[in-house]
Amino acid sequence: MIRHFMHTYLPFASNELKRNLAYKGAFYLFIVCDLMEVFISYYLWMAIYQSSGKGTLGGLSKNEMVVYVIMVFITSTIIMQSISRTVSRDVVKGNIAMTLIKPVDYRISLISGQVGNLIYHFIVPSLFVWIFLEVYKVTVLGEPLVSPGRAALYLISICLSFLIYVLFDFCFGMVAFFTTYIFGLSMAKEVLLSFLTGRLIPISFFPEAFRKVFEYLPFESMVYSPVMIYLGKYSVRETLFVIGRQAAWVIILYLLGSFIWKKVTNRLIVLGG
Amino acid sequence: MIEVKSISKEFISPKKYPGLKGAVKGLFSTEKVKKLAVDDISFSIADGEIVGYIGSNGAGKSTTIKMMTGILRPTRGECLIDGINPATDRMANAARIGVVFGQRTQLWWDLPLSESYTILKEIYNVSDEDYKKQLAFLNETLGLEEFFDKTVRTLSLGQRMRADLGAALIHNPKVLYLDEPTIGLDLVVKDKIREAIHEINQKYKTTVILTTHDIEDIEKLCSRIIVIDKGRKIYDGTLADLKETYGTTRKISIKTEDFPGIGKVRAALSSSLNNGNKEPVGDNELELNFNPDESRLEISFDKNHVEVSDVISSLIRIITVKDIKIQETELASIVKDIYNHNLGANGPEGGGR
Repeated sequence: MIRHFMHTYLPFASNELKRNLAYKGAFYLFIVCDLMEVFISYYLWMAIYQSSGKGTLGGLSKNEMVVYVIMVFITSTIIMQSISRTVSRDVVKGNIAMTLIKPVDYRISLISGQVGNLIYHFIVPSLFVWIFLEVYKVTVLGEPLVSPGRAALYLISICLSFLIYVLFDFCFGMVAFFTTYIFGLSMAKEVLLSFLTGRLIPISFFPEAFRKVFEYLPFESMVYSPVMIYLGKYSVRETLFVIGRQAAWVIILYLLGSFIWKKVTNRLIVLGG
Repeated sequence: MIEVKSISKEFISPKKYPGLKGAVKGLFSTEKVKKLAVDDISFSIADGEIVGYIGSNGAGKSTTIKMMTGILRPTRGECLIDGINPATDRMANAARIGVVFGQRTQLWWDLPLSESYTILKEIYNVSDEDYKKQLAFLNETLGLEEFFDKTVRTLSLGQRMRADLGAALIHNPKVLYLDEPTIGLDLVVKDKIREAIHEINQKYKTTVILTTHDIEDIEKLCSRIIVIDKGRKIYDGTLADLKETYGTTRKISIKTEDFPGIGKVRAALSSSLNNGNKEPVGDNELELNFNPDESRLEISFDKNHVEVSDVISSLIRIITVKDIKIQETELASIVKDIYNHNLGANGPEGGGR
């Protein structure tokens, strides 16, 4: 059963991995752009700490903020693998028919493809940036190396983050069945997510009322939670709670996606003959 | 094998208005337009049949195929493919069918063909042994080895179509759906594809459903055809029956040396045919044409009204016949008539099963 499952969906992952290796030029361009973002964000925060004159802001020291900025970059590069773009393309070009004639689940085949992307992005550039961060931490900042236990918890947490993100993005992609094109909405989603996931500003900087609302949304679990685990901001009990909450979101979003998919296939129109 | 029970498909889309003003109006309008693409179609297909499913563009052919393959869900009615309802059990159905959409590819664009086939082997859970056997057979019938290691996007259309047909057959499906499999191909490749379809049908008793605009596809492959028009089934029966029902015009072409002129021949012919005939043949039932360059006389008539043998025996008495040719209505012109709705509206339902 599980072997058959792996045999069926593994090719989608390896195919995506191969495709990435074929188009590496475009990929490096994206990395350069993203790294620019990290630098900007780094210098911005340094300036903020300097001018505020305080040691800690929003519960993070200056050194922790450096780790935060870089770990957020690593985490989002690994987990944010867009499914909705593929869904939209499949809908616009009518290619979805070619998946539906095969004995595969559309959503799982999409997620499997993104697993391929995840593996690739985990190695380049994330692993290298991560090693760089740890070296920088020890030599320049004078902080201790991250403990193996915490690193392991972080890795478990980002696996769940990945699932939350792709399952959410699948639901979002379903909009394409109603509007066909989702480019504009996609841009809006990106901006909103950079706030809600804590990518732009740590969630702890938001006012209390906002944070209460965020606790009931899945976005915090995507990026903010694993990075805080990595920073060691949670006690053991809190860590277990946060990971449990992530698992709950995986289940909720999975069920929501199944529900929407059922509704959508009832009114599915395959474009282009 | 296939049981289609009065399926209909209705597409609902927002109403569009013409012009810029219309576009703005469209933003605020909630009016919907319903279009019935497939209207209450039923048929059943036995094991090992090759059925041609024909109709003009937009008649609802592809929509029907999509409902049978489980891509679309019928608005009303249901179909059972080998006992499985594709609308509720798409994956189980998909494992037993093969599909080729001539205008699309199910292969992986960026990978070599061989790799696409390996992926499909895994997806359909084909054993190594069966895969080897099937691949050898496909190689033989479709000649895949000449481009087996090339990337799919570099294949020519003919190669890609052969590759796609092969891909649909890797798991040796029970039913094969072909939606315009010969579209845009040259004659040699068309022949090859037809031969392959025929061979597969013979060897594995695969049921084949074929939509096409190419009359030769139908004449060479299909024992039975279903014609649909504007979403409704207008004919279902054998090819011979279709010709019998709709193609009753015969054309006799005669090469002659001493042609006395159309008027004289017509007069002589009518008097000869009406001699002792209770129902006289009207002048407009015979269509005469003379081509002086080839000195060829052509006579067209409906064979249900005038006997072919009568015409020939009469003509032999009137003019010297050097050569004679009898043509039946071409399938192409029958189909053209159906598409132009000359026959569909009041024509008989045909030899339905």
